[in-house]
Amino acid sequence: MAELTVIGKPVTRVDVNEKVTGEAIYGYDLVLPNMLYGKTLFSLKAHARIKNINTEKAKKLPGVVTVVTAEDAPWTHGESIKDKPFLAQGKVRYIGEPVAAVAAEDEDIAQAAVKLIEVEYEDLPVYTEPEEACKPGCVAIHEDFAKYRKVDFIVGSHLPNVAEHFKLRTGDVEIGFKQSDLVVEERYFVPIIQHAAMEPHSAHAQFDKESGRLTIWVANDAPFRALHEITESLNMPKEKIRFINPLQGGGFGSKGGLKVEPIAVALAFHTNGRPVRVKFNREETFISTLTRHEAVVYCKSGVKKDGTLMAREMTIYWGAGAYAEKSPTVCIRGSLPAPGPYRIPHVKVDGYAVYTNKPVAGSYRGYGIPQGAWACEQQMDEIAKRLGMDPVEIRMKNIFVEGDVSYWGERLHAVGLKETLIKATEAVDWGKATEAPRPGVKIGKGFACIQKPTRSPTTSNAGVMVNSKGEVTVLAGTVEIGQGCNTILSQVAAEELKVPMEKVFMHPLDTDIIPYDASTTSSRSTYHMGNAVRRAAIHARQQITEAAGPMLEANVQDLDFGDGKVFLKDQPQMALPIGEVVKRKLGINGIVRGDGSYTYEIGKDLDLETGHSDHASAFYMYATQAAEVAVDEESGRVRLLRMSAAHDVGKAINPLNCVAQIEGGVAMGIGSALHEEMVVDKTGKVRNPSFLDYHLVTSLDVPKMIPIIVECPEPEGPYGAKGLGEPGLAPTPAAIGNAVADALGVRVYDLPLKPENVYWAIQNKRKKDAA
Amino acid sequence: MKKKIQLTLNGKSTSIEVPNHRLLLDLLRDEIGLTGTKEGCGTGDCGACTVYLNGKPVNSCLVLSGELDGADIVTIEGLKIGPELHPVQKAFIQDGGAQCGYCTPGMLMMSKALLDENPNPTEEEIRYALSGNLCRCTGYAKIIQAVQDAAVMIRNKHVQ
Ligand code: FES
Ligand code: FES
Repeated sequence: MAELTVIGKPVTRVDVNEKVTGEAIYGYDLVLPNMLYGKTLFSLKAHARIKNINTEKAKKLPGVVTVVTAEDAPWTHGESIKDKPFLAQGKVRYIGEPVAAVAAEDEDIAQAAVKLIEVEYEDLPVYTEPEEACKPGCVAIHEDFAKYRKVDFIVGSHLPNVAEHFKLRTGDVEIGFKQSDLVVEERYFVPIIQHAAMEPHSAHAQFDKESGRLTIWVANDAPFRALHEITESLNMPKEKIRFINPLQGGGFGSKGGLKVEPIAVALAFHTNGRPVRVKFNREETFISTLTRHEAVVYCKSGVKKDGTLMAREMTIYWGAGAYAEKSPTVCIRGSLPAPGPYRIPHVKVDGYAVYTNKPVAGSYRGYGIPQGAWACEQQMDEIAKRLGMDPVEIRMKNIFVEGDVSYWGERLHAVGLKETLIKATEAVDWGKATEAPRPGVKIGKGFACIQKPTRSPTTSNAGVMVNSKGEVTVLAGTVEIGQGCNTILSQVAAEELKVPMEKVFMHPLDTDIIPYDASTTSSRSTYHMGNAVRRAAIHARQQITEAAGPMLEANVQDLDFGDGKVFLKDQPQMALPIGEVVKRKLGINGIVRGDGSYTYEIGKDLDLETGHSDHASAFYMYATQAAEVAVDEESGRVRLLRMSAAHDVGKAINPLNCVAQIEGGVAMGIGSALHEEMVVDKTGKVRNPSFLDYHLVTSLDVPKMIPIIVECPEPEGPYGAKGLGEPGLAPTPAAIGNAVADALGVRVYDLPLKPENVYWAIQNKRKKDAA
Repeated sequence: MKKKIQLTLNGKSTSIEVPNHRLLLDLLRDEIGLTGTKEGCGTGDCGACTVYLNGKPVNSCLVLSGELDGADIVTIEGLKIGPELHPVQKAFIQDGGAQCGYCTPGMLMMSKALLDENPNPTEEEIRYALSGNLCRCTGYAKIIQAVQDAAVMIRNKHVQ
């Protein structure tokens, strides 16, 4: 490979100037001419039949333009299962479900009108525990489940309220347990948490009767998925719907799918062509957008005396909340690798995505990996302890290495796991004890390893345009949610065309103009869109080369690119700026456009009976994180002293950005480990829907972080790159959990590791020891 | 009830008619059109809406417009020094202090307020000063680095 000029360099973010000056316009900031203001009436009942809705008083309030209910918007949506109404139809299934909406001349009027809507409910049984909701005899939260439109991997279940059942079957776990010298079994719990992107949710919509076109402005991280869902729901041709993406203030998975969008769309059909804006405030964002799946994980492992893993059996109840959203795929892709990145001959996993009467769970950075890791990685340490082995040693004995065949039947390559394990543990001086600062405080170390697949197969398309000034515009459907994709993709285009970064621009995202991309999810963008942009840039470069040949009186194979110019390899002074080539070929207004597409072609769907696939993922991300903690035995308070995070990224296209992604991920992981939980009571009510009561990590909660980049190149990836965004938080809670167990000699099985959970674990151990 | 109030906003004197109960945050964003000041919670818990009111950083989502007659307000749009970026802005760019950027205006306002009072803060002092400003993207590491670097830039300028 020719020498890289900008790939691998810590380039400054391309979008940062407008962000530090306040000029950047986010979805929440957007004002459209002649816009109306929308407000939503949310259900106050977790599970109830709607007997009557009276909107008369609201409609009569001066300044109200329209009030809509399911009668005006009789549609449903859902990626895998079309179970979610735009506005509640006949019943409500969680507190926070949108029931009706108002559009008015200003926000105050809209809010006043919402208060005038009267709804009569008839209560139904409320299910808040996933493990309980699927017990035989439970009332169906979705009576019409069988009738819903679904994708074909939804297999259903004989149990009530199960939206999806994933099965993994390898070998025979009963034989594996018989052959084992030690069998360990435990129940683990991960509560609901929320993305809490700093920008709350909002959507704008406008329906133009004359053209019949519906336009939606929303900071959605998968505009093409959203477009497809709206198309299917409304039965409108795709050409009639347009999504425009303003800037997005964080997402972490929360801003895919449809949340505020259906409300804005429902209103837009009744405003005589005026655009309508619907904003959720923070409380509404907490209760009515998306959450991360709570999970009850049963994990049982069998090992030989020497630490060789023989069998692992897991049953996972994923709390889907009231609607399926991403639950089927979280259930599949979270359950599949849950037994961990290890060679295990006998594996059995059952994952159930279970409906409850709680807010809807969706995709969340990590996509099911943190829940599985919380169980599996703690159990690895428990096994090591009982066998008298070092936790590093037992991992070394079993972890995936190059060429291993995984328990789902795939031959693995580009496995950088071992290196992450060595580096992360070294960074916290593994094996060396730290002295406790005072009596009553215990110091401990722990770590955890993970593997993460990416959504496969998927496609990214891109365009790269070069104008007569030598400026390069990239058309890519990847959404800049803060992860830095605009910088990474600009680097790719700059590299292939050998132009300076200042010459590269990212075209704003508009589904009318930008070619199709699957989604900005699953850490797929650097790899998939990176490949697509690279191909598009190479295509543009070919066209410029061919045009430049005759201009420089040279054979095309003798030409090279550098410094924004095309030149003769052996006579570099014979050169033309690439813009000049475009101008001479196509005129001053001319534009050369290259197109590129990338699909991970060999991606295969999993076998529904065994969960097996010989190509389940385009690539795998591997990571190890290690923590050192100080635990106060009296209060149960856990303080993090340091935290290392080694991530195999394949190739760091921008090391500065990689470090930023790791640090941000770890901080999020720390929150989920130590204090974050959305508390939902037995009636289905969220008790802490504010930043006062839902504790996000602050600058005081984050310890010294040691980010470590490991590069085990993925041959198919652009320049060897894989992905990085999601794994950052995946091993964190388990690493901290293991450190706490190391400090105290007692394990906490339920997240978060808040003082009371740790305190009671200590007390219970004391009682047991005394008895 | 609407009331006419007189303000100095980013150095310019303005008068505006506004309902008493309108929050300063909404006044800035919705009525004046300065959307650089962000809304993260609306309840005083995130710091995204930080502006200077009479020289002191405040959460603008907690201030009612009715109290503002005669006030001097500076928002992120007024942070530049003439055409030049303020050192905290430069340092955030250089160090990667902004990712999605939604917390950034509030962070910058709070960082400058800290450095105005304490030109040579320790890491602990920075962490403490920014503890009311939530960021979900960065894990704060690069933000803290940027404030340290901005402090150096400001001090060097004074030495010159
Ligand atoms: S919006 Fe004012 S503190 Fe959050
Ligand atoms: S940069 Fe996204 S919230 Fe701070």
